[in-house]
Amino acid sequence: MALFHKVLRGTYILRKCSKPTSALHPFLGIRFADYSSSLQKPVASPGKASSQRKTEGGLQGHHQKEVALDITSPEEKPDVSFDKAIRDEVMDHFRRLKDEIVNHWKGPEGRPLQEALLEQAKVVWHFRGKEDLDKWRVTSDKTIGGRSEVFLKMGKNNQSALLYGTLSSEAPQDGESARSGYCAMISRIPRGAFERKLSYDWSQFNTLYLRVRGDGRPWMVNIKEDTDFLQRTNQMYSYFMFTRGGPYWQEVKIPFSKFFFSNRGRIRDVQHELLLDKISSIGFTLADKVDGPFFLEIDFIGVFTDPAHTEEFAYENSPELNPRLFK
Amino acid sequence: MSWVQATLLARGLCRAWGGICGAALTGTSISRVPHQLPQGLHCSAAAHSSEQSLVSSPPEPRQRPTKALVPYEDLFGQAPSGERDKASFLQAVQKFGEHSVRKRGHVDFIYLALRKMREYGVERDLAVYNQLLDIFPKEVFRPRNIIQRIFVHYPRQQECGIAVLEQMESHGVMPNKETEFLLIQIFGRKSYPMLKLLRLKLWFPRFMNINPFPVPRDLSQDPVELATFGLRHMEPDLSARVTVYQVPSPKDSTGAADPPQPHIVGIQSPDQQAALARHNPARPIFVEGPFSLWLRNKCVYYHILRADLLPPEERVRWGWHHPEGWNLYYPMQLDLEYSRSAWDDYEFDINEVEEGPVFAMCMAGAHDQATLAKWIQGLQKTNPTLAQIPVVFRLTGATGELHTSSAGLEEPLPPEDREEDDSLQRQQQGQS
Repeated sequence: MALFHKVLRGTYILRKCSKPTSALHPFLGIRFADYSSSLQKPVASPGKASSQRKTEGGLQGHHQKEVALDITSPEEKPDVSFDKAIRDEVMDHFRRLKDEIVNHWKGPEGRPLQEALLEQAKVVWHFRGKEDLDKWRVTSDKTIGGRSEVFLKMGKNNQSALLYGTLSSEAPQDGESARSGYCAMISRIPRGAFERKLSYDWSQFNTLYLRVRGDGRPWMVNIKEDTDFLQRTNQMYSYFMFTRGGPYWQEVKIPFSKFFFSNRGRIRDVQHELLLDKISSIGFTLADKVDGPFFLEIDFIGVFTDPAHTEEFAYENSPELNPRLFK
Repeated sequence: MSWVQATLLARGLCRAWGGICGAALTGTSISRVPHQLPQGLHCSAAAHSSEQSLVSSPPEPRQRPTKALVPYEDLFGQAPSGERDKASFLQAVQKFGEHSVRKRGHVDFIYLALRKMREYGVERDLAVYNQLLDIFPKEVFRPRNIIQRIFVHYPRQQECGIAVLEQMESHGVMPNKETEFLLIQIFGRKSYPMLKLLRLKLWFPRFMNINPFPVPRDLSQDPVELATFGLRHMEPDLSARVTVYQVPSPKDSTGAADPPQPHIVGIQSPDQQAALARHNPARPIFVEGPFSLWLRNKCVYYHILRADLLPPEERVRWGWHHPEGWNLYYPMQLDLEYSRSAWDDYEFDINEVEEGPVFAMCMAGAHDQATLAKWIQGLQKTNPTLAQIPVVFRLTGATGELHTSSAGLEEPLPPEDREEDDSLQRQQQGQS
């Protein structure tokens, strides 16, 4: 119990101050990298956080801007204590837990059951503000030593998100990679109270709908399932998204039956359809072996039921590759 | 057997297991993320070259001609006068075969040939891949008894076969019956290269035609044809017309007096023409660009002619217009929804991004205002109302490959319509 409380305190320390200091809690030394990458901005209100950061004394280069802006006037004393911040965070989580329990009585995700059951088109991610960009993270092959760059920002008039960068298929000289060159934008896993991992339930929809504007490059859409019971880190379901290019918005509809299963980047012989009841994240990857700049503008991502689509799964297993399935 | 030999054998076996298990068992690769790259594929070639470099670095007492670091590389460099094409590549492959009947070192040679294929431009030629597979000695690597079938028989050669097929896969070359027969002859039916061939034959046909906007492999290099193809690729309206406003002047070595004029190709659909005719001359229209379009591996740039979104009060209400034959007795317009019931709602409850209408698109060789002004003049022939509308040029820099967010220019720029006799005064609003 005491250990759990300590861990909780440790996590909140990390949430409050974006700079993980190992002096605060040696227990969490390993998980610093993970947390610092997931934090883009401190979540708390600016007044508390800035003064708290000042009292912390640990200033990073990228925080100096924010600290400089929040110059407190001399008569106003920063009156925030560390314990209060943690208490607020704990209360916030308990409030979210209470909301979750109450919403469960009302229906799935707090909406009445008839509304949730009859829903046929749902917008899952839209890009209308900076906080919508926080739900995504971008990666490129810089993590393995490549040279591709990728950035994500809001598009024109804050009406869309623009993912842009440069792809470079120059392989890193680390002796084990022969090919390289990929950029990806992955959605963050939805979190509930106490940072529990939640998942999306899209079991009544059968098509993914995207409104995008690309530059003619072929992208790959990857869907990952929830890792609650089974460890499925490297497994995902993918399909291709071909952009047209041009100034017109393009509507891409990909039925979920077309997604094929792959593990660690290679298609498996045994294919099964994507089960929609526990979806954890979706991602877009560009890896078409062509060096150069790229961009992709996304308006929104939704799921809907296409009544004309009756296919259950697009790929059948072959008896030559999997004789054991056909015994 | 001495302990040195025992350790070498053990290391070789470990690499064999690791290499084969890593690469072959996990199936066809779909993404370019190099998660699972077999150790064996790179250990063998790299180790060999490192050994060679170790051998050749200390100075030898005898005068020896300098050896190439990679074995058999001189075979590929033997026709420096000739251009690097399929014939010289096949010649080099043939020369290797003439070295020895036993084809000593064929694995290294095949790896080298795979690396050299791109230089010779034959990476998408199936006949060349079949010739490369032909280098393997036949019938030697087929397992003959159950022990050979259990343990991976000739693991380095199987990895090499897999590497050939992997390069075929990454360039999108579909294997044919000859490839299959060669693999059966060389490795047998139950080998890993054969398994990979089965996977290629299964997955390639599934993904060959899924692109709704296909781009042919061999795009023409002529800029006008490329521009025509690109513009048609972008425009969803099939009744749009492509007009070539200016053909690039041929580049002659004498050096013409006037600078070479770039090509200008434009596209406009009848709907866009009608919209431009309806456009209010008080509002300016903008030439924006250049934006990038990728056609397979070639990037072309285009410009668009568009107007800003009308404010809500000026937008046309899609009401019911009264046509001439208006009649009280019969409905002139029926508005029936045949398919949807009351509880069906397939609309997303989000306001989609609305942008101003696009009137025309063009691709030009140069991205400066003079060239685009020629395009506008050409457009004026088919859109006479364009003469009265002020045109503002919103051009980004020469390397503006991205969709620039003109966040600072949300409000319409004040047009200055100083109209001269018959030509239109244009203003440049350059963005850095």
